[in-house]
Amino acid sequence: MDIASILEWLQQSSLAVQIRDSLFAFPLIESTHVIGLTLVFGTIAIVDLRLLGLASTQRPFQLVASETLRWTWVAFAVTALTGALMFITNATVYFHNAYFRVKIVLLVLAALNVLVFELTAGRTVGRWDQAGSVPPLGRAVAVLSLVIWIAVIVSGRMIGFTTTRGSLAEPAPVETNFEDLLGLPPAK
Amino acid sequence: MKQFALWLSTTFPSVFIQEHNSWSIPAIQSIHIVGIAMVMGSVLMIDLRILGWAWVDQTLRQTVNRFGPWLNGSLWLLLVTGILMVIGEPVRELVTLSFWLKMTLVALGALVAMIFQRTLRRHEQRWEDTLVHRRSIKLLAIVTFLIWVCIIVLGRLIAYDHVWGSWSPSERQ
Repeated sequence: MDIASILEWLQQSSLAVQIRDSLFAFPLIESTHVIGLTLVFGTIAIVDLRLLGLASTQRPFQLVASETLRWTWVAFAVTALTGALMFITNATVYFHNAYFRVKIVLLVLAALNVLVFELTAGRTVGRWDQAGSVPPLGRAVAVLSLVIWIAVIVSGRMIGFTTTRGSLAEPAPVETNFEDLLGLPPAK
Repeated sequence: MKQFALWLSTTFPSVFIQEHNSWSIPAIQSIHIVGIAMVMGSVLMIDLRILGWAWVDQTLRQTVNRFGPWLNGSLWLLLVTGILMVIGEPVRELVTLSFWLKMTLVALGALVAMIFQRTLRRHEQRWEDTLVHRRSIKLLAIVTFLIWVCIIVLGRLIAYDHVWGSWSPSERQ
């Protein structure tokens, strides 16, 4: 089964059809996606700002991370689920959209960034956290995390502008000659 | 309102945003979303503290000192980017039911945030000793969170105002 037929099967599925046919479904799924992603970014930012020493400096990093990141995971599950629901309504178009692909790559980078942290600074967290400091690599991960997630938000917004007829749809320029577009001989 | 929106769309700042809309509108909206994320993160954390689900090793005052400034700062950021969006696309924003419902809830949400921070400053001891344990206050924390959730939904519905059918002014003309 090739990717094209999988995409086709997804968007012909009864769930995708139901979402497309409903007046409210897509807007509400998209709204839930935004609620989820704001909570994902809002909670991750708390942890990143703590790593950078810009906020929550009165409390140990491990405590801030454990009390915050559990909510990140709940919010991420909601965001991923609603994202998948939006994807299947127009799977072929999203799959070929450049911003969608950029966004997926960024999400993979965000995951790799966490992995790097766990394998490096995360291993010695007990030591540096007790000393009240953060190793340079931990700070670098925090900066990267903020940059990647902001880029995820921007690319996500761009998907909306480039896959649907939004308010940015530009009118055809006046000088467009339709005969040229159709490859017909010029009118006399 | 339609007249005002049409007039606004002919003013210089509006024309400037419109002429550069391929990057200006997505950029302003993205900053707006980052601002909402900071508000949601801050409100969630303060509400979790009131509910006793997080930060219980700290006082309410300490938790609000930690997240309050980010909440307030982000609200200003949202006001600025929100105004820029209205200037950039006046008809799309102002001639919708969703926008005005959203503004009503934004006023309510901002008022709750302001009153809460003020009474906490004035009656700190009472908040820490009794108020924060009260069931009605915990309920209010949940309601406050839901207000911001509804604000996000209504914000997104500005783009889909037709869901309101004949209630939407953009459908009526």
